[in-house]
Amino acid sequence: MGNLGQSLKLDTLLVHGGSAPGPSGATKPPIVQASAFAYDTAEELEDIFRGRAVGQVYTRIGNPTLESLEKRLTVVEDGISTILTASGMAAITTAVMAIVRAGDEILSSSSLFGGTYSLFKDTLGNFGVKTRFVDPTDLDALAAGISAATRLIFVESIGNPKMDVPDLAAIAAIAKQHGIPLLVDATVSTPYLARAKYLGADVVIHSTSKYINGTANSIGGAIVDCGTFNWQSEKFPHFEPYFKKYRNFAFSARVRKLIHKDLGACAAPFNAFLNGEGLETLALRMERHCANALKLATFLKGHEKVGWVNYPGLPDSPYFAVANRQFNGRFGGLLTFGLKDRASAFRVINALKLAKNLANIGDTKTLVIHPASTICADYTAEVKALMGVSEELVRVSTGIEDAEDIIADFAAALDQL
Amino acid sequence: MNLTVNGKSATIEAQGNVSVLQLLDLLNVSQKEYVTVELNGDILDRESFAASPVQDGDTVEFLYFMGGGAL
Repeated sequence: MGNLGQSLKLDTLLVHGGSAPGPSGATKPPIVQASAFAYDTAEELEDIFRGRAVGQVYTRIGNPTLESLEKRLTVVEDGISTILTASGMAAITTAVMAIVRAGDEILSSSSLFGGTYSLFKDTLGNFGVKTRFVDPTDLDALAAGISAATRLIFVESIGNPKMDVPDLAAIAAIAKQHGIPLLVDATVSTPYLARAKYLGADVVIHSTSKYINGTANSIGGAIVDCGTFNWQSEKFPHFEPYFKKYRNFAFSARVRKLIHKDLGACAAPFNAFLNGEGLETLALRMERHCANALKLATFLKGHEKVGWVNYPGLPDSPYFAVANRQFNGRFGGLLTFGLKDRASAFRVINALKLAKNLANIGDTKTLVIHPASTICADYTAEVKALMGVSEELVRVSTGIEDAEDIIADFAAALDQL
Repeated sequence: MNLTVNGKSATIEAQGNVSVLQLLDLLNVSQKEYVTVELNGDILDRESFAASPVQDGDTVEFLYFMGGGAL
């Protein structure tokens, strides 16, 4: 049986793309729960270390189970290579640290997952990398935020929890004009809403723990190299040895052979297996996530005790037009809504019976959280405002239960106010 | 046609001209989608594999970035 090409539709690629038969014709990859890989001769291992031969060495650098999902994600995203990591945060850290050095700048969306904001502001800030945070829907501000030291633009395809939707193609044009790569965290949109490469991303990041995994049973991250950026540039002299030897794989090689190897945030084989299991059903689940989120958003929008609803799929959302265009009429499973204040938000969360109160998104179960008191609790009022987090805001990751039951759960909880 | 492939002698049975792209198949090179090819000391762009002829006496190196830790 030959390789499956890109002529297939996404839903088919998610099931079959990049898959290879396992031992004895197994339709699943083996879970290779091994730390290291032995060779008969010193010459063989030398060849692998020198890059002259393909082979596994040590699971921190690579592993057959990881490689199986890496190849599948590469096909799904139409990239040239993928590196799995221990988590989505590990993926962002690894990808960004492969590109920036002390003295460089990151131009980042201000609408970010809290962990990413902290990584850029504090952790990388302490190593001499400055980040400018700009509203990603303000293209003039983005262009103005680029300095001679800027080495990458980072955005989320759908901001979490702000729920804004930047025009990725327009941002990609700005990045291209300045000769810097565009990194897109596509965790919330997933390949189901759009392949970020087709919207101009040079590197796509996923927290596979979320919708790709789908059932919240294992953490993981992925860095997809789209192969679209030319790393042979005076802005990136540290890529020169990698470009010289590996050409369009320069980014993947620098990640794999230096940053990922040194940071050591590798994926666990069993987690990679489970995330790969989830990938097969991504389209089916996302279809329901999207449908349920729109139904719940519409219900909340019409409820007298709800102050506002932010879901890009609502026609009066300021992000509807961009989202509708770049995501082909799909808007994801995440939404936020506002009540009167923190106390009323807490009362509704406490009264929900189906929806789980926890810090995650992308599960089959409907999830809620009060970001201001939890995942964004460490941030000042000014930073919270930048992220679109207010005291009355509740975030919902709409699950795949029957929409009537989800709506009934929220209706009953809102009756408590 | 006699070549030096990854430091070892190799003989290729082929009629007419052979391109680098064809050589990948003739030598059954693994993971072709990820391989970088060095022909007589020059790294080739992937786009030029089909148009790059291999000749008797050439030295060819196949390189992979996915394996060990050395650059």
